[in-house]
Amino acid sequence: MRWSLLIAAMLNLGAGGLRSTDAQSGYELLLKGGHVIDPRNGIDSVMDVAITGGKVARVARDIPAADARQVVDARGLYVTPGALDLHGHVFYGTDPDAYLSDGISSVPPDGFTFRAGVTTVVDAGGAGWRNFHQFKRQVIDRSATRILSFLNIVGHGMKGGAAEQDLRDMDARLTAERVREFPGVIVGIKTAHYRGPEWTAVDRAVAAGRLASVPVMVDFGTFGPDRPFEELVLERLRPGDIYTHQYRADVPMLDANGKVRAYLFEARKRGVLFDVGHGSGSFSFSQAVPAVAQGFVPDSLGTDLHTSSMTGGMKDMSNVMSKFLNMGMSMQEVVLRSTWKPAGIIDRTDLGHLSPGAVADVAVFRLVEGNFGFLDARLRRMTGSRRLECELTLREGRVVWDLNGLAGRAWDAAAEK
Amino acid sequence: MKILARALVGLMGLVVAGAVPAFSQDREYDLLIRGGHVIDPKNGIDSVMDVAIAGGRIAAVAVGIAPERATQVADARGLYVVPGLLDIHAHVFYGTESDAAYSNGTSAIPPDGFTFRSGVTTVVDVGGAGWRNFSQFKTQVIDHSRTRVLAFLNIVGSGMKGGPVEQNLADMDGRLTAATARQFPALIVGVKTAHYSGPEWDPVDRAVEAGRLANIPVMVDFGRFVEERPFEELVTSRLRPGDIYTHTFLGRVPMLDAKGKLRSYLAAAQKRGVIFDVGHGGGSFLFQQAVPATRQGFWPDTISTDIHTGSMNGGMKDMANVMSKMLNLGMPLREVIKKSTWAPAQVIKRPELGHLDVGAAADVAVFRLREGAFGFLDVSNARFSGTRKLECELTVRDGRVVWDLNGIASVDWEQADKR
Repeated sequence: MRWSLLIAAMLNLGAGGLRSTDAQSGYELLLKGGHVIDPRNGIDSVMDVAITGGKVARVARDIPAADARQVVDARGLYVTPGALDLHGHVFYGTDPDAYLSDGISSVPPDGFTFRAGVTTVVDAGGAGWRNFHQFKRQVIDRSATRILSFLNIVGHGMKGGAAEQDLRDMDARLTAERVREFPGVIVGIKTAHYRGPEWTAVDRAVAAGRLASVPVMVDFGTFGPDRPFEELVLERLRPGDIYTHQYRADVPMLDANGKVRAYLFEARKRGVLFDVGHGSGSFSFSQAVPAVAQGFVPDSLGTDLHTSSMTGGMKDMSNVMSKFLNMGMSMQEVVLRSTWKPAGIIDRTDLGHLSPGAVADVAVFRLVEGNFGFLDARLRRMTGSRRLECELTLREGRVVWDLNGLAGRAWDAAAEK
Repeated sequence: MKILARALVGLMGLVVAGAVPAFSQDREYDLLIRGGHVIDPKNGIDSVMDVAIAGGRIAAVAVGIAPERATQVADARGLYVVPGLLDIHAHVFYGTESDAAYSNGTSAIPPDGFTFRSGVTTVVDVGGAGWRNFSQFKTQVIDHSRTRVLAFLNIVGSGMKGGPVEQNLADMDGRLTAATARQFPALIVGVKTAHYSGPEWDPVDRAVEAGRLANIPVMVDFGRFVEERPFEELVTSRLRPGDIYTHTFLGRVPMLDAKGKLRSYLAAAQKRGVIFDVGHGGGSFLFQQAVPATRQGFWPDTISTDIHTGSMNGGMKDMANVMSKMLNLGMPLREVIKKSTWAPAQVIKRPELGHLDVGAAADVAVFRLREGAFGFLDVSNARFSGTRKLECELTVRDGRVVWDLNGIASVDWEQADKR
């Protein structure tokens, strides 16, 4: 009774808000009038997105508002698949000496993902085979964000310091076994922060990747003469493996004339993938601006979210996406490299698109125009004129972020119950 | 020659970008926040001024401080410069224990990812820890946070662990709570009682007893509102002047009479000196209460978030969003700032915070007041439309930049590279 009166009140609201119809039938939620960018399905135009049962039900022009119980006015906004952050650190804990593996440098994901349009995060090497179960219980099972994992080749995971330099704890066979135990959740292998001259860390990660048929992501640690970066991307990594921290100052990127070195394009042609992995130390405009201008763009826009990057130059996924927009990448390309492309990289092609039947992980962005500044990891600024602001995020069809109350009802209508 | 050239480039950078010359090592100020509209309610400042910082402290607040005197310059023209905010209702005793709620559990959050981006430099955890586990809270969170974290100790010895733990009268000891508060006078600034569902006044009375013994205020979340414990009695006689009722705009608060008029006891309680705190949270702020109450002149004394995992992504979001709600409800900007800085600092008896006195800790926030069509949600998903929104541009904690949304304290990368 109350509900029907409420509905009647809301129907009188006019344009711009939520409307409701018969609660017994129709779509649960309709995002109406937004510009849909769904790279996998080649959609790049104004469309409506209907959602039912936590899944995308239909994407089409002019789906009648009367067919849905709740309608969100997305006019003037971009509607995209929920963003997939290929490089996060979310194995948070309370051990002050455990760094990114049950330590205080990782973040609990939900406070950082949804407000930036992210619905899936891949934890990049927080856990190793020895503590993946703990990670799953402590974080994965409790988070509303979908959490996947690149398992660290170090059995104890990313605990910082000497633990990550222990070659005896890098066991390809045991790592691969753990991966096979959680297919689709553990989606790759990570090696990171290695300082020694040996290729052992990389080679074992690749061996594990081979055994488990998953890609490897490499943070190259200390760049030294014994392990040339060129050899990593031209020979050691397989097609489909990922080098992260693409625009880190250490990467031999530009020649004396400021041109992007040819081996990088060669590596890409081989099939090696490049992830941004921005973080707090791995993104310089002096590398990124010329590289992007010359076409050496990232395959995925991973954030490298952790406590040192969350309030620094990186901030969040939408800020990283905005940087690439302002460096000249098109909105369509930015969305592709934040959704469908990373989904393909980790062989989770069920994610990153809005095909009917797909899980309804959706982000709605406003492209704000103005005078903005963006900082790199060294806190140097690039000015820009556009910034993506996440208006609405849906996870499995549920509103998990609503910046301006697009999916809310007017308070005074509510008061008239 | 080379040095001169570098200096020239630096100066050019300064003129063009209004920002950091990197060559200076021995300037008198570390940071100059330049040309912003300063609102410092304690000192009655409400005009365009420069704020100079040295050694982590406020060094000068004046008109026309020369940028050459500072190593780093932030261009705050068109922005508001205010003391770093105090959020006196937060839940930051995060942990990984199952079923531990806000006391080493998963409902609390690590503060730094949520504070600085909204201008907050001090949070008060209200009741996460009790006397039994305050040390753990200190070691685990306070000592590792860059945000200044203070605490209201829960009258429940085990803290805010949810369920029956918080209903256990046998674990509410005024004397031991006060003893722990006196042991950590720099960190424990009050006593909290919350979530009680029984008919007795004991939790409130024991919290007040502890507050009396330790000479600190009490904050009350009134739990279940039951006949045996009338809310009116709480605020008009049980609480002392200076004690705080939080969750002012909770739906259960008897706010309006049958004709929609504000009940008179509320103003009387406020006049007595009882503090009304917003404490928005995930269930404690309805526009149905806030709009008529504020239109009839009943405003909260302090603005706070009640941030936790159940509010961080909902209608509450963060301190700047809650302040924006107050602004759009009609509270003047300088009042919004006062109730987020100097007023809460006084409530928790920490007069060294919440202002820009020369010599004070350089905790500073810089806001942009955006104009546009915005919406704000309450905890029932009801929307209030507004035209103004505070966005935090810069946050400084102890003189260090800890948040810079648009890089106003940085130089352009091309200029930096040329040096």
